[in-house]
Amino acid sequence: MYDWKGIRAVARRELRIIRNRPLYLVGSIGVIAFCAIFFLTFLNDGLPHDIPIGIVDEDGSTTSRNFSQQLDATQLGKVVRYDSFSAAREDMTSGKISAVCVIPTGMNEDIQSFRQPKITFYVNGLYFVSGALAWKDLLTMVYMSNGAVQREVFRAKGYNDRQIMGMIRPIDIDTHQIGNVTTNYNYYLTGILLPAILEMIVIIVLIYSLGTELKYGTSRHLMNTAGNSIATALTGKLLVWTIVFSAIGFILVLILYHQMHFPMAGSIFNMFIAMFLMVLASEAIAIFILEMLPVPRLALSVGALYSVLGFSLSGFTLPLEAMPPYIQGLAAAFPIRYYYLFHVQEAIFGTGFAGWWKYVIFLLLFLFVPLLGIRRLKDAYINQNYPKD
Amino acid sequence: MAERYAKIWIRDWWNIFCHELKQIFSDGGVLLIFFIAGLAYPLLYNVVYLNGIVSDTPVAVVDDADCAESRRFIREVDATREISIAAKCINMAEARKMMEDRKVNAIIYFPRDFGRKLAGMETATLSLYCDMSSFMYYKNAMIGTNFVMLHEIGQIQMERYSLAGMTDQEVSQTVTPLGYEDNNPYNRASDYSFFLISAILMIIIQQTLFYGMSLLVGTQREKNRSFASLPDKLSGNGVVRVVLGRGGAYWLLYLGIGMYIAFIVPAIFGIPQRGSFGEVLALLLFFVTDCVFFAMSWSTLITRRESVFLLFLAISPICLFLTGCSWPTVAFPKFWKVFSYIFPSTFGVQGFINLSTAGGDINAAGLQMKALIAQTIIYFFTACLCVYIENWVIHHKEQIEEKRDQLAKKAGIDREEDARIITGR
Repeated sequence: MYDWKGIRAVARRELRIIRNRPLYLVGSIGVIAFCAIFFLTFLNDGLPHDIPIGIVDEDGSTTSRNFSQQLDATQLGKVVRYDSFSAAREDMTSGKISAVCVIPTGMNEDIQSFRQPKITFYVNGLYFVSGALAWKDLLTMVYMSNGAVQREVFRAKGYNDRQIMGMIRPIDIDTHQIGNVTTNYNYYLTGILLPAILEMIVIIVLIYSLGTELKYGTSRHLMNTAGNSIATALTGKLLVWTIVFSAIGFILVLILYHQMHFPMAGSIFNMFIAMFLMVLASEAIAIFILEMLPVPRLALSVGALYSVLGFSLSGFTLPLEAMPPYIQGLAAAFPIRYYYLFHVQEAIFGTGFAGWWKYVIFLLLFLFVPLLGIRRLKDAYINQNYPKD
Repeated sequence: MAERYAKIWIRDWWNIFCHELKQIFSDGGVLLIFFIAGLAYPLLYNVVYLNGIVSDTPVAVVDDADCAESRRFIREVDATREISIAAKCINMAEARKMMEDRKVNAIIYFPRDFGRKLAGMETATLSLYCDMSSFMYYKNAMIGTNFVMLHEIGQIQMERYSLAGMTDQEVSQTVTPLGYEDNNPYNRASDYSFFLISAILMIIIQQTLFYGMSLLVGTQREKNRSFASLPDKLSGNGVVRVVLGRGGAYWLLYLGIGMYIAFIVPAIFGIPQRGSFGEVLALLLFFVTDCVFFAMSWSTLITRRESVFLLFLAISPICLFLTGCSWPTVAFPKFWKVFSYIFPSTFGVQGFINLSTAGGDINAAGLQMKALIAQTIIYFFTACLCVYIENWVIHHKEQIEEKRDQLAKKAGIDREEDARIITGR
């Protein structure tokens, strides 16, 4: 039933177009290469360290100096000393330091005589990650200082170290971070961001590739090559692009999970499946957008507006449950959402097929979407009756 | 003489300004970017992140200890804002299944010896298993259980210390020899939307301006016209008129869109606006001016209408990371730190967060303001340079073609054959 000769002819035609327009390869391979290099090097540290924390030491005792030295010695924090609170606060507001810690006058004496002094700290929660980490670091230091004082008290009373541990630390939490043992932001963000960028590239490049046929009036030539069958024309063009995009996707998977050793509880081969299906689903979206709006300039703008939303609606940063219900429904229209869910099952839990078969079906459902407007695209290709640019 | 010059200058400027406005309003794609993206997207992003606080993350409990302490712990964890106990499972396998089905996002496990160890005055350890698929789950599970743990530790310490023969006063003093008080003044509830929305708003201004302007430049180039055409009678002078005339059109539009984004949108959605109106407006003026010249300079690279999306759409998420609002600036690798100075958004976002969202005075954004001014000056000159070069190229087309043919002949390339292949004829 398929016109293999026609498909081959269209594919050969597409390759010629790609060869003569560097924009295609720069827009796909060039862009993803730049983004991959950016995110993988930008977040290479995994977890930030040496976050500047301002200390206003109003006490000036050995204890307070000891406190700031120990805070400085932690991996997370780096102490910046200030003489006045107002100066420190100004620097916190301007984002130069992430937190301010005020050590009150007489803290040393108050601790020695058990008058329970209070350390005050202020965190700038508008610089999210650094604020949260600074807060965690300060809290840990306060508890460690408390532990040190308590230990001295019980040593004086003649307890041994094991007993003391039981006295000052009756409960402990053993945390297991499934799928990301080191709280690595690179693993967390880049593993979804790069596929989301690929989704964006697939949609934009494919709309461009299909749209330029209309824009430069070459669509009739395309239809002639394809023996006047829109199915043959699309298959031929998609054959080339699916190979290009899947190759990019597979290389991404290999770089992430093989080269960079991102956590992978399941199998890397299953991620190939996810990547391939996401590419196909994104292609379907691109075709659908052009079918509904066979005006390349508008279709591209719409494609751009659509694809930037994928980053938020995949729900990998702010969970989807926290969004309003109608936005949750909207998220169903983004292939990257299912890629993310697939990734959670395979890379984090390693459940295999039992965990992700649903998402495979959802991704496959996208493939039916272009059928809705296929006639419209054919008419547009033959009649060229829409504005050209 | 000077008066005449000024008159001509203003008339030319006015003509270019009006021409550019006409261009903008007669192009559907540009209007879509400026008015749908510029006006509707700020609203859409606010709706998406409307509820930036994730509460009551569902957690499963496996209680093998089944003692009074573990039950109290569970009750207290359930009462925190961060966690709600969604299920009590009989074993880890069941809890794990629930986590894989994404019905719960963490598991708390009490081992069999939990109660016995507490009774024996030892350290009892419980296990927390976190789903790291979103750090929001992890954060909630950690904060919730750790707060309850610290509270419980305080309680148990009191019991144990009195057993060790301390008086009540000694006990309370020894349990917390050093207290603390924590404040998160600008983002009390650690709302995810406060910082992200503030950043996204400024980036929308920069990116939509850039995409829209590039679309127009590309269209004009395709139609064999130039974005930089000078009034002919000036014989090559008047670059500044063109830059300021075109820039003025976008500046005027974006002053409106920018004020809507910076003042009205946050007000609708309750994003804090703690800054003084005048200071935020001053920052916005600098930022928009900077963005206009930034877009004018970079859009010169666009030769075809659509190429801006193919080449530069992916720069938007990168810009978001380069602002330093999520990944802290101190952790930037050096190269990317310098790279971030290319974009007005790097300083615009920081300035906006410091001034408007945190409510600092103008000093809090002093550094960013200076950087924006420096950028504006640099981008103004590059924009002028681009217009100048473009003009030079237009007026020297023939010479350039000749030169090219000469070079091609030297290298042995048949340019006519090349042209045939590219046009496909």
